[in-house]
Amino acid sequence: MGVTTKPNRLEKIRTWRGSVPVWHQYTLGLAGERFFRELKDRGRLMASRCPRCGAAYLLPKLYCPACFVACEEWVEIKPRGVVDTFTVLHEGLEEEELKEPVVVAFVTFPGVKGGLVHRLGEVGRDGPAVGMEVEMVLRPERRGGLDDILYFRPVGK
Amino acid sequence: MGYKNRVAVLGAGLTKFMRRAQETGKELCFEAARMALDSAGLELKDMEAVVMSTAPDAFDGVHMKGEYLADGAGGFRRPYMRSYVGGGSGVFSVIHGWYHVASGHFDTCLVVAEEKMSPCMPHPQAAFNAIYDQFTERPLGVNLLWIFALEMNRYMQVHKIPLETISLVSVKNKKNGLDHPCAQAGIPGEYTVKDIMDSEVLVWPVHRLMVSPVTDAAAAVVLVSERVAKRMTDKPVWVEGVGWHLDSSYWTNRDLYYPKYVEYAARMAYRMAVITDPRKEIHLAEVYDPFAYKELHHMEGLLLADKGEAPRLLEKGVTQRDGDLPVCPSGGLMGVGNPIAAAGLMKVAEVFWQLRGEAGARQVSRPVKRGLAQAWGDLMQVGTVVVLGV
Repeated sequence: MGVTTKPNRLEKIRTWRGSVPVWHQYTLGLAGERFFRELKDRGRLMASRCPRCGAAYLLPKLYCPACFVACEEWVEIKPRGVVDTFTVLHEGLEEEELKEPVVVAFVTFPGVKGGLVHRLGEVGRDGPAVGMEVEMVLRPERRGGLDDILYFRPVGK
Repeated sequence: MGYKNRVAVLGAGLTKFMRRAQETGKELCFEAARMALDSAGLELKDMEAVVMSTAPDAFDGVHMKGEYLADGAGGFRRPYMRSYVGGGSGVFSVIHGWYHVASGHFDTCLVVAEEKMSPCMPHPQAAFNAIYDQFTERPLGVNLLWIFALEMNRYMQVHKIPLETISLVSVKNKKNGLDHPCAQAGIPGEYTVKDIMDSEVLVWPVHRLMVSPVTDAAAAVVLVSERVAKRMTDKPVWVEGVGWHLDSSYWTNRDLYYPKYVEYAARMAYRMAVITDPRKEIHLAEVYDPFAYKELHHMEGLLLADKGEAPRLLEKGVTQRDGDLPVCPSGGLMGVGNPIAAAGLMKVAEVFWQLRGEAGARQVSRPVKRGLAQAWGDLMQVGTVVVLGV
């Protein structure tokens, strides 16, 4: 049984199915809208900077949660980072075995608070490693979402 | 009273009310909270605790949204706690913040209330379907409009109240809302009783213009102890009384024509504020008005009118801004909008501004020294009341 299919065989007991009959339509917000437009239209990573403590936030925030002031300055971040930690997915949500294991990593960027959780690709025979330098690989056709980034790959590949 | 600190409201903030905000819920929280801090002359570092109120997770579409909203509300490196009693949340948030400070545990507390209802599709009423029992009401396709319609009809029948009179609440509040800079586009306006009566019937006797809208917004207030208040301001607004109370959560097992739980919440707040004659001692009231009839129903529960008398006070103009007991001078939920938790806190903020004489075009005519804000919600059986005074 997978995560989205359990529990099954409910027909064996006296219950019936139901759900909360809603779905959702989300907005990116003011900071998110700008971040994803930059990614889509210009293929670049932008961070917002706190005027008080100087922290640059990626993903960008409209405000600094620590100083609680608006972050109006935006700075471009070089799309090259370092693997902080990673994991390798072998099974999918439905417990199906994945044809290719998927590497997911937390990538940090110099001078930036936060970072991106994304896939790693082209990791080669040695596989991923903490501390590995990686660069962003963009999708040629972009829609304005996190999937506009195909994956990060080791620098020099 | 057995509490350590007297508590004052020192500042308030409110975002524009919108049908569909581009801002995330966190961003709305930041805007309101920043405004409240600025108006109090304080910074987040001065806040020892943060309280968040926000209604069902199903609205924003983020599970555990109290946690999600935390950093936008200033819930960062300090004690942070969400409270939630449905529609009663906004007023309850101040009660929650009050006991943080009154206990003596904190000198300052930032209180934020947020609701972003627009993500909920096809309509937030679909989420309300799921607050009812799975095998009694839900198979009938129930939503909140039903319970209001049943309650409104019962209230109208018991006291023989014509629909025209109930329409007057919409007329008054939608007109008051014209003076509110945060009012949602298209909600306030100049309407006649006929306009209200001619609007589409949703669930009889509820007409479209007798219902508050779906709204995105946030509100915030800063609460401080007497020690801090006296240092920071010459115009402290005190939290003089708080009260909250629940009736049976099963709608068939309580009186629909009279909100007893509101009465008990009010009595608790009045006792604390040493109010024996609320009709004389309460100078203005931000009564919860998600539906037009609710303002009247709640005025009676708040003991501001006898049972069945509120419609007559309305007809006589007593509850207008220039009347003896202004009710919803802000425009209320009918005239400004209804971002559930934020709407309740908007009412507390309105009483704060009125008592400081800072309500601008909304300022009531009579001098005011004490006002109350009330909300109602959960499974329509909770009453929350805050009395503020100067």
